[in-house]
Amino acid sequence: MKVSFQLNGQDIEVEAPGNRALLDLLRDDLGVKSVKKGCENGECGACTVLLDGAPVTSCLVLVPQVEGKTVTTVDGLEDDPFMVKLRQAFLEDGAIQCGFCTPGMLISSYTLLRENPDPTEDEIKIAIEGNICRCTGFTKIIAAIGDAAERMTDE
Amino acid sequence: MNLIPDVEVHRPRSLEEALKFMELPDSKPIAGGTDLIIDLREGACEARNLVDLTQVKELDYIRETDGRIRIGAMTHHSDLVASDLIKSKAPVLSEAADLVGSIQIRNLGTVGGNICNASPGADTATPLLVLGAEATISSAEGNRTIPLSEFFTGPKRTSLNPGELLTELSFPTPPAGSGGAFQKLGRRKGCTLSLLNIAAYVELDGDTCSKARVAVGACAPTPVRIKDVEEMLKGKKIDDAVIGEASSACYGLVQPSQRAHSRASEEYRRDMSCVLMRRALTTALERARRNK
Repeated sequence: MKVSFQLNGQDIEVEAPGNRALLDLLRDDLGVKSVKKGCENGECGACTVLLDGAPVTSCLVLVPQVEGKTVTTVDGLEDDPFMVKLRQAFLEDGAIQCGFCTPGMLISSYTLLRENPDPTEDEIKIAIEGNICRCTGFTKIIAAIGDAAERMTDE
Repeated sequence: MNLIPDVEVHRPRSLEEALKFMELPDSKPIAGGTDLIIDLREGACEARNLVDLTQVKELDYIRETDGRIRIGAMTHHSDLVASDLIKSKAPVLSEAADLVGSIQIRNLGTVGGNICNASPGADTATPLLVLGAEATISSAEGNRTIPLSEFFTGPKRTSLNPGELLTELSFPTPPAGSGGAFQKLGRRKGCTLSLLNIAAYVELDGDTCSKARVAVGACAPTPVRIKDVEEMLKGKKIDDAVIGEASSACYGLVQPSQRAHSRASEEYRRDMSCVLMRRALTTALERARRNK
């Protein structure tokens, strides 16, 4: 079936079977490798993208369900001021080890900072409760998000 | 890699269209897919015609009319969390919706899907039960409305007939002097299924409890009210002693699964039902007093 939607600001139309997951369309058909495949159950958050601006796990979304909607990955937010600060903080604070959880973490924390520029530690933890990191133990990720928030308000 | 089986996906734009598609053989509605996609990947769902409700906007609403709060089945958990109406008038439901899965799951999942999936531990089920909710069900033949307690018939089983769709959940607007609260126990604090959940709701007439409803999740084949605990509260001035007694009674009244491989032991669920009931009743009472 034909499905039309917007990906990272560009209007596109794809031809896909109804049972194709958005995750597989993005990675395998459209070459957007920043979106990672982890559990395929919506539990690990590695496949998190923005759907109409809201974080969702793309492994659970069928391609037909994005008709007329906007899909955003980290690739579409490269120059966004919040994302620039987040990336900088993640790099400087040692919040990245293997990097597999990172795109999903960035999407979730980006959404948090857009809605809540001065989050508490608990609010940060809730924002990333759907993103699992197997390397860092989360501490430096949480610190990086807090640092990014501070740097945004400093400007 | 778990593949989703070869299913047809139909995309109605109205309830009427959706009901026509539901007449197809092996049909199943899909909303956020947070349970259904997992079931399809695991081969636990035999549906071959998915009716995608994403574009059926007429099922996505939260409104208050004629003294009832009405919630369309396609209302996302994140919208229940954000709704000023629900937060102010029925916080037991918004705080439960806020504990479903993770932010990503709350943005995809719907209250209709949560109810129709009918897990005994469904987080929005116990709040809706204590709010006295009714379920409106539609088919090509017409509508019917039943108490939510009659909707659940067993673990992941409902009284929906083939071709039927749950379209609305509604309950009387809780009056002044009422208060409800929700408590959830999971393996961790975030993004976790309920090992046990409790919803409590009381109405105060002066200092006396005129109405009490409590419900427990994941401690029976379906989410259920605990009538014996309710009787211990009705007509009483609720104080710590009354709450303590009602909470301790849960130990013997809940019926958690005895299966060795279930998510928590029977003993642990019995113990924790008392703790969660005490917390839920205490908060419900505080809210009722503040809400006069």
